[in-house]
Amino acid sequence: MAADSEPESEVFEITDFTTASEWERFISKVEEVLNDWKLIGNTLGKPLEKGVFTSGTWEEKSDEISFADFKFSITHHYLVQEPTDKEGKDEVLEDVIPQSMQDLLCMNNDFPPRAHCLVRWYGLREFVVIAPAANSDAVLSESKCNLLMSSVSIALGNTGCQVPLFVQIHQKWRRTYVGECQGPGVRTDFEMVHLRKVPNQYTHLSGLLDIFKSKIGCPLTPLPPVSIAIRFTYVLQDWQQYFWPQQPPDIDALVGGEVGGLEFGKLPFGACEDPISELHLATTWPHLTEGIIVDNDVYSDLDPMQAPHWSVRVRKADNPQCLLGDFITEFFKICRRKESTDEILGRSAFEEEGREIADISHALSKLTEPAPVPIHKLSVSNMVHTAKKKIQKHRGAEESPLNNDVLNTILLFLFPDAASEKPLDGTSSTDNNPPSESEEYNLYNQFKSAPSDSLTYKLALCLCMINFYHGGLKGVAHLWQEFVLEMRFRWENNILIPGLASGPPDLRCCLLHQKLQMLNCCIERKKARDEGRKTSTSDNVTNTYPGDAGKAGEQPDVGKSWDSWSDSEEEFFECLSDTEELKANGQESGRKGGLKEMANLKPEGRLYQHGKLTLLQNGEPLYIPVTQEPAPMTEDLLEEQSEVLAKLGTSAEGAHLRARMQSACLLSDMESFKAANPGCFLEDFVRWYSPRDYIEEEVVDEKGNMVLKGELSARMKIPSNMWVEAWETAKPVPARRQRRLFDDTREAEKVLHYLAVQKPADLARHLLPCVIHAAVLKVKEEESLEIISSVKKIIKQIISHSSKVLHFPNPEDKKLEEIIHQIINVEATIARARSLKAKFGTEKCEQEEEKEDLERFVSGLLEQPEVLVVGAGRGHAGRIIHKLFVSAQRLTESSDEAAAMAPPEEELKRMGPPEERRQNSVSDFPPPAGREVLLRTTVPRPAPYSRALPQRMYSVLTKEDFRLAGAFSSDTSFF
Amino acid sequence: MDEDVLTTLKILIIGESGVGKSSLLLRFTDDTFDPELAATIGVDFKVKTISVDGNKAKLAIWDTAGQERFRTLTPSYYRGAQGVILVYDVTRRDTFVKLDNWLNELETYCTRNDIVNMLVGNKIDKENREVDRKEGLKFARKHSMLFIEASAKTCDGVQCAFEELVEKIIQTPGLWESENQNKGVKLSHREEGHGGACGACYSEPSRRRIKGFD
Repeated sequence: MAADSEPESEVFEITDFTTASEWERFISKVEEVLNDWKLIGNTLGKPLEKGVFTSGTWEEKSDEISFADFKFSITHHYLVQEPTDKEGKDEVLEDVIPQSMQDLLCMNNDFPPRAHCLVRWYGLREFVVIAPAANSDAVLSESKCNLLMSSVSIALGNTGCQVPLFVQIHQKWRRTYVGECQGPGVRTDFEMVHLRKVPNQYTHLSGLLDIFKSKIGCPLTPLPPVSIAIRFTYVLQDWQQYFWPQQPPDIDALVGGEVGGLEFGKLPFGACEDPISELHLATTWPHLTEGIIVDNDVYSDLDPMQAPHWSVRVRKADNPQCLLGDFITEFFKICRRKESTDEILGRSAFEEEGREIADISHALSKLTEPAPVPIHKLSVSNMVHTAKKKIQKHRGAEESPLNNDVLNTILLFLFPDAASEKPLDGTSSTDNNPPSESEEYNLYNQFKSAPSDSLTYKLALCLCMINFYHGGLKGVAHLWQEFVLEMRFRWENNILIPGLASGPPDLRCCLLHQKLQMLNCCIERKKARDEGRKTSTSDNVTNTYPGDAGKAGEQPDVGKSWDSWSDSEEEFFECLSDTEELKANGQESGRKGGLKEMANLKPEGRLYQHGKLTLLQNGEPLYIPVTQEPAPMTEDLLEEQSEVLAKLGTSAEGAHLRARMQSACLLSDMESFKAANPGCFLEDFVRWYSPRDYIEEEVVDEKGNMVLKGELSARMKIPSNMWVEAWETAKPVPARRQRRLFDDTREAEKVLHYLAVQKPADLARHLLPCVIHAAVLKVKEEESLEIISSVKKIIKQIISHSSKVLHFPNPEDKKLEEIIHQIINVEATIARARSLKAKFGTEKCEQEEEKEDLERFVSGLLEQPEVLVVGAGRGHAGRIIHKLFVSAQRLTESSDEAAAMAPPEEELKRMGPPEERRQNSVSDFPPPAGREVLLRTTVPRPAPYSRALPQRMYSVLTKEDFRLAGAFSSDTSFF
Repeated sequence: MDEDVLTTLKILIIGESGVGKSSLLLRFTDDTFDPELAATIGVDFKVKTISVDGNKAKLAIWDTAGQERFRTLTPSYYRGAQGVILVYDVTRRDTFVKLDNWLNELETYCTRNDIVNMLVGNKIDKENREVDRKEGLKFARKHSMLFIEASAKTCDGVQCAFEELVEKIIQTPGLWESENQNKGVKLSHREEGHGGACGACYSEPSRRRIKGFD
């Protein structure tokens, strides 16, 4: 191709760049880019389908070029199209005019709802724009504009590129472009006028037709007919006060201490302002011919009610203030605060804590008195009182962040057991939340939060609320302090914490929840111990449970198992005479000697009799001992422990050490077993503990009888393996006199300390999963009222996304923000749907069919940029839109004139069908906010014998500006 | 070495006592068999780096004791595991029957739901088989697990079991990626010189392909 070789040769000619002027260099760079992007030659695509500008995908490629030291960016915008396979590029159609020129006339995509402005003005499917790279830069002087245009012209001519090339001139915001498109023997000039004020003659169709014709300067008479497309856009803004259903909550009342408005434990929802700010009605006359209608400065045929096409778009308020979103966002902000609780509350808690501990020891001494009746009423109100006093003392006359009423309400909400008069016994309060099996309930598992009926979850919601309504960060710090005090109070007074599932910490929940569960475990054990001490005087030794005896191997109930063991704060229960005796016996028990004496030892710490098993030595029934429960662990402790174990390495010694470290439990069980079964062997123990390691075989004895003969498995018989070793060192000591495997006092103090040092930021991070969990549930609940399929899908995505993010420790802020943002979007979408439904009265619609149409229309508005109104002004939706405009008009009129007019509602009722009404009222609609007119024709230019080529002019007139964008093609063959 | 390790995976071995959990692990990590391996107390721990489909993965394998009493200890080790190997003894039906209990335990204590489970029927070298291969297959299918029969003694299927498990984990996105989120993840599928997922330690005729059911 001739056009191809030309630019290359030229590039080669300019080998010495120093001799080339900046201008030449610029041109060659433009050519280079066009070549790189393969925009050379004519490739005819398919004719544009209707709506493809909106439904298709637009892409862009960018590069940077400079003219001397002035930087430009050059960008190729194009609609992604399937390649036209059959006729390749090779089929060069010499005479065919470039694609872009043909597109000028295409009527399938007039007024696309979403597109680059050049697409809207010229109907192009691809184009290249050269614009100053920096936003502040602009090409202002005429000579520079001309220089650029000449460069473009030369580059297009040199390369044979048929894609229109535009240059942006003037300030960027003016969006002024000039451009050119070249084809074989043809050229289109893209010109533009942009004015602030509209010359009067251009406000109507006839004036625009005049200017179009004069620009074409067509020598033919009569002129070929001009095709016209017109769109008027009307904007509706004044509807808030009439159609916005949601009342924002009365924040003042809440701040004043009235908690009634918003319950604690619930999240608010909805937008505070109308999330739909404007409605744009576009009335379109897609295909008019000159002469059919009249539109001049005195009269117009263009009545919007009569327009054949109506389409509507809504303008969504940018980031409408939504309650749920604000709640989470504000809560998330706490995560970034650095202050500690003390810094926030302006006092030293440690000082206080010392005093606090003194108080507690006092309380403890009280407890050791014969009747330690926990005063439940005290737990909340007393604490509130003392805390408040303390704070007042330290902060002078200043108000404490949370006033008493709010604090009391919250504490009662968190600790409902404090309100009830009758002392609750611990277990019942924790068991009254039967976990439901629903998918929703188990969400905490995915979010690693906490069950939605748990204390942790409730605490998260309360903190969220306090942060928003009751004193912000200070309030949060205050409540947290109260919470920690309450935890300590409960520990000191043996009152179980409500709202936590019993048992060891649930590792599927957040760490804070685990810590609270851990504390509960400690309280539970301490309580059992203290109660055990009271009753221990009558320690029943042969503790058989006949009912359970049959069920060997079943774990005894946790609550019962330790009620008879462990009785001291010290590590060992020292009773010299007793232990010494036991020691002597224990050592002997490993050997076979002295069995007689052994059997005479008083058995201790029996739980129940094992099914049928009897001791090998003396045939006594084998008893399952009361054993120590293994220590409950939170995930951080577990992490620590497994790290320690892993650090021992994989060598044999490491493995041995590891086993030794973990043998405490085994040893304790062995000791309990020995105590419960005097005269037992390791074989007996193994039969209970690891039955598969006791192998029984039927053997024929001397008398010819079948006899069961059993022995330890090979691995148990390995000399000095850890089991044997442990067995030999084990002394017959019942569990209750053994060293405690789990030091509840120490663990509880650790937890309480941990809680006390959590800064509000740490706390917020702990609880954020709960807040997100709650927000998702809230959004789900609200969605189920509206049923918006797209939202449903997004919620599912949010759940799976957050379960991925929240499962790893310390998720990145960015990812958390993303999740919050998604939730906010969903909330806004639901709020928008509600607003639209209210405005269009879908609920009020009685006819089933119409209702369905209307609902489809409303959901279309949510999901598509622009929705066609079926039946235009005469359809059901159209009539509603009309009424909306009419009532808005009445409102402005009445307020403008301040005249005593009938209220708009009545007026509406009197109106009757729109056709009738049109006669007595001219201004149902405000003046159009935008008037767009598209004029097109095909005429020969510049001479009557030239080729007939596409001509197009687009004009848009709004309140602020006026723009004419013309594309005028001419035959260049003989000129 | 360590820098081209794609990820570190936590794998847990569970099952009734005496089914050969520690022996399987020893065979895999040290390629030895010790008939007199002491019963595990609590949990034990081994590390091995393996390469599957050109991806190197460091395995931190936690071996647990099967005894009832130790079972209260071990659930904490389920946390954060990406793969679980559930072992039974094909010569002892009771170890197979108890599998349901183990699955319950898994369900209760696993912190994630996309964890990869593998069922291994051990001791196929022994003659007195009580559990048919088909039964194992059926159980694995029912519970969407990988399944293989193996022998720690003869080396049958051991390597294969671990490799297949790791491969499956690596194929499950989101299960491991974020382990080294800051290093950037490369997931190359180099096909070079790796004849299938199974190592060379067992002969072709006895080779059993693992079937995944999910």
